Amino acid sequence: MKISLNWLQEYVDISMSTAELEEQLTLSGLEVEDVTSIGPSVDGVVVGHVLDVQPHPNADRLTVCRVEVGSDAPAQIVCGAPNVRAGQHVPVALPGCSLSINGKSVKIKTAKLRGVKSAGMICAEDELGLSDDHSGIMVLEGRAVPGEPLADYLRRVGSGVGDMTFDVVITPNRPDAACHIGVARDIAAVTRTALHLPTCPLPEDSEAIRIQLSVSIECTQLCRRYAAMLVRGVRVGESPQWLQQRLIAVGLRPINNIVDITNFVMYECGQPLHAFDYDRIAGGEIMVRASKGGEQFATLDGKQHTLPADTVLICDRQQPVALGGIMGGANSEVDKSTTTVLIESAWFDPSATRRTARRLGIQTDASYRFERGVDASGQVRAAVRAALLMAELSGGQIVEGCIDVHPNPLVLPAVTLRLSRIPVILGITIPAEEVVRILNALGFGVRRAGDSLRCQVPPHRPDVSLEVDLIEEVARIYGLDQIGEPHPSAVPGSVPLERPIDTRRESVHVLLNGRGYREIYTNSLVEKDVAEQFSDPSLGTGYPVVETLNPVSTSMTTLRPTLLPGLLKVMQFNTHHGQSPLRFYEFGHVFHRTAEQAVYIDGYAEYETLIMGISGPIRPKAWDDKDRDADFFDLKGDIEHLLAAFGLSDVRVQYHNQSEAITACQMTLFYHKHRLGCIAQLHPDLQRQWDLRSPAYFAEFNWTRLVLHAEENSRRKFTPVNRHPAADRDIAVVLPSSQSAGPLLETIRNVGAPLLQDVRVFDLYEDPRLGSRKKSLAFALRFGARRTLRDREIDRKVGQVVKALHELYGAELRS
Amino acid sequence: MEENSLNTAAAALRHQVEAASLDSAEELEHFRIRFLGQKNGRITRLFKHIPQLPPKERRDAGRLLNELRTFARAKLEAARTSVTTEEAAVQGLDLTLPGRSNQWPGSRHPITQALAAIKDIFIRMGFAVAEGPEIEDDWHNFTALNFPVDHPARDMQDTLFVEASDQGTGGVMLRTHTSPVQIRTMLAGDPPFRLIAPGRVYRNEAITYKSYCLFHQVEGLVVDTGVTMADLKHTLFGFARAFFGDDVRLRFRPSFFPFTEPSAELDVWWALPEHPKGGRWMEILGSGMVHPNVLEAVGVDPERYTGYAFGMGVERPAMLRYGISDIRTFYENDLRFLDQF
Repeated sequence: MKISLNWLQEYVDISMSTAELEEQLTLSGLEVEDVTSIGPSVDGVVVGHVLDVQPHPNADRLTVCRVEVGSDAPAQIVCGAPNVRAGQHVPVALPGCSLSINGKSVKIKTAKLRGVKSAGMICAEDELGLSDDHSGIMVLEGRAVPGEPLADYLRRVGSGVGDMTFDVVITPNRPDAACHIGVARDIAAVTRTALHLPTCPLPEDSEAIRIQLSVSIECTQLCRRYAAMLVRGVRVGESPQWLQQRLIAVGLRPINNIVDITNFVMYECGQPLHAFDYDRIAGGEIMVRASKGGEQFATLDGKQHTLPADTVLICDRQQPVALGGIMGGANSEVDKSTTTVLIESAWFDPSATRRTARRLGIQTDASYRFERGVDASGQVRAAVRAALLMAELSGGQIVEGCIDVHPNPLVLPAVTLRLSRIPVILGITIPAEEVVRILNALGFGVRRAGDSLRCQVPPHRPDVSLEVDLIEEVARIYGLDQIGEPHPSAVPGSVPLERPIDTRRESVHVLLNGRGYREIYTNSLVEKDVAEQFSDPSLGTGYPVVETLNPVSTSMTTLRPTLLPGLLKVMQFNTHHGQSPLRFYEFGHVFHRTAEQAVYIDGYAEYETLIMGISGPIRPKAWDDKDRDADFFDLKGDIEHLLAAFGLSDVRVQYHNQSEAITACQMTLFYHKHRLGCIAQLHPDLQRQWDLRSPAYFAEFNWTRLVLHAEENSRRKFTPVNRHPAADRDIAVVLPSSQSAGPLLETIRNVGAPLLQDVRVFDLYEDPRLGSRKKSLAFALRFGARRTLRDREIDRKVGQVVKALHELYGAELRS
Repeated sequence: MEENSLNTAAAALRHQVEAASLDSAEELEHFRIRFLGQKNGRITRLFKHIPQLPPKERRDAGRLLNELRTFARAKLEAARTSVTTEEAAVQGLDLTLPGRSNQWPGSRHPITQALAAIKDIFIRMGFAVAEGPEIEDDWHNFTALNFPVDHPARDMQDTLFVEASDQGTGGVMLRTHTSPVQIRTMLAGDPPFRLIAPGRVYRNEAITYKSYCLFHQVEGLVVDTGVTMADLKHTLFGFARAFFGDDVRLRFRPSFFPFTEPSAELDVWWALPEHPKGGRWMEILGSGMVHPNVLEAVGVDPERYTGYAFGMGVERPAMLRYGISDIRTFYENDLRFLDQF
């Protein structure tokens, strides 16, 4: 909200500079986001006193003036204006300052004009940007002190020129600060100065108004109070300059004197007012009721609304004339022909106002304040303030008396503040007198009894209801900078344990970064079609997807059931931009609906997965290395490495060579009964659909489960190193091409036990010379025991292995 | 042979040894065989003449030939050293060729890096880490955190809902902050608590250079006996100095959040040479003393225990740190961007 410095000074004396005030407001809880200076810049222009005026020796139209400008000797200034006279106070632009004249920046310098030295310039109004007047120099009326900045003079005389506007952030707990008096109250409390409030004599009770106007409230929860006054014989017209300038300074557009006054009072004391044309209020009757729903209403901005139920309606005898707390109606608006004004000053319920404003999509200065809660005691005062101003500025006459209906008064509590509780919360001790002074300055009525302060919450602070609220009030005025720092702090009683999920994540980063993978962050929200396409049982999901009710856009409607679409999008994006390598990984949550019992929120399954993906060249092109595209086994190797690092040796695998909706082939990994994840080649159709030039491979794991099982396996025991030599044997066998290698390895391990310690495939090739549809597989076997093995027993073991391979798979030993 | 002729022969041989060229391995071998060969080396052969000399001359002749043989051997050794050195170089390794790299460099996403930097500081201060779900219910995300029923954050305009709320309560949504993790942690245990909760959060916001529908947060919570706002300030200032550097200018400013009272925000002064004031204050985190209503909601006695909480975004400090001006860059994952981290 915008606050004008000139306006503020009507209620509190401010001796600090603009910068200090900005800092002070911010540090006491009203954050200043921006400070703007209003009107022309007159920096460097001071008040001068013309001592004498002499004709210029070389020019008829010029004069030579001696001007007192506050410093040492008077300045000699050549002037061309016809109206310059000795004794005048005038604005003087001193050498060094810049003026914007006719849109051009002009720097004032000491110069010789027709041979006579001139140290500065006596300015006309247009040269200062104050008006278009160039008929002569500006003559300053009233008290002017030679040498004082022109800005200060202008501010002092209330010219409206040189005001400053503070853009203040009003937090929801500060309904009182949405007006100048509220901000002034804070400043007065901080600077220990007095707050000056405008005098508003409350009206005598009178029949006069009751004859002309009756008010009743039907919905006393939604409208607790309705005050009204009448001003007769007004002349609607332009507001005086001072009023217009006040409104312009806070960003409002002056409309006419009546509307401007209601706005002025709202920005002064925070009470929104509405002015009706009394002659358009049928029957001189105001009735406040809740709408039934579906009613139509045209607001004064010309828009037609269908009203939801429980909208507060201000009605005359025939029809609604305003939306209570939000906006008036077109049917009762004040215009040029208005002669009698009905001033409405009411209290509307914050929640109801917010609800209606949101539903109708209307935010007004009034709704902004009612939503936060206005002072429930201020309605009559504000109405009187407005009526007096209308009488003064529009020539009207106040109809005696004031209608004030308040069937359901808002009662604010008294809250107890224990002085001993302040150090418990704040960690500092504040003297009791200071606590009382601050609370008093903020309007709280304080009664002390020993340690306890019984504090009556003032009507402008409906947000305060608890002891901590009071402590906050004291703290923000006392100053959080009074809390010393550093502050002695105890070491926590227990040292938190590292979570396996964090340390394991760290090790995955290290491992994958070393293998050329780049981490990505993708959006959790994807298109519904995409989410459903990838919600596939082959990926371990295939459940109903989770949609949001109010998506940001149609491309972000549904929570991802897998990280795969995000990965493919990144691969596609980088392919489009000619970037490689495509080696990525991501950790992220995936989601689906579930009927099973949920860990967190019933109906929803959510867990973290780790995805890795590769496509295209396997390594950077090099001078002695052949280019090759990444394939399934590159990714499989990385996963084997990862599983080994996690100590997960007991993983069961299911191979699947058929293509599915998403995959061309895949292997699924299980730990006991639990699916850990899969390694797969992306289906060629999807590869094309996502514009990938080479086959793409991905692996996605249930990260939570992976960590869980890794932890189960993490307690390893040391086995003493075997000092006896191991013996290596290689065997190569020829067998049908269709025979996969996995079962052979399994057989070798089983038959070779217990002497066999390790077996690896070290060669694979197919060659017509081996026979048609034959291949050769070579295995490296390592034998060992806790004793020295004899050649004979190793040979016997190898023989058993070869025999088993032959019997089970028809494998022939290659000679 | 007489001694004189032996001397002459030795002198001639010495000239031959001196003149012999020893620039290659072949020449070295040739030299060795020619002069020092076991059977027919010329120097070796001369030794065979010594027994034929008169006994008194044999001694001088022996010394002379020994000197000659030592000289030849020394020359051979010296040449061998320089020839082998030269020959190794002749193999011609082009040391300027680039090193073999089996892989491109990998990297962590800048958000992970910024998050890790934040987490590490708090972990060093003794904070544990906790995480929670991104789909939350109204009670954990709002009600337990003292959000009033008609708080704007409960509105469809601000929050992404999965199940609609009824008159402001109930409903399932994508969490708007990681504070529900505090609630879950406090419900699951007893004080003291001292933890941070990093994670992804969602807001119903249009995607622009400065806003995204999701971002990352780290929230902190400490609940114990005797925890005060001074502890909070101490912790946050300590964090900010560790993160931004010891000379950072800080401001602790009163603010408002539903779940803390009193509340405060921490601003850091960001120097901007172009700025008329030389810089500006940037808000980096919100904080405060845990609201008694929050403690009561999770069954912690607010008279016995007090606590503080704080929360910060990860993207904003990351953008400040790396000079990134468009938040969308983080989620595009352009390799030319990732390459720089």
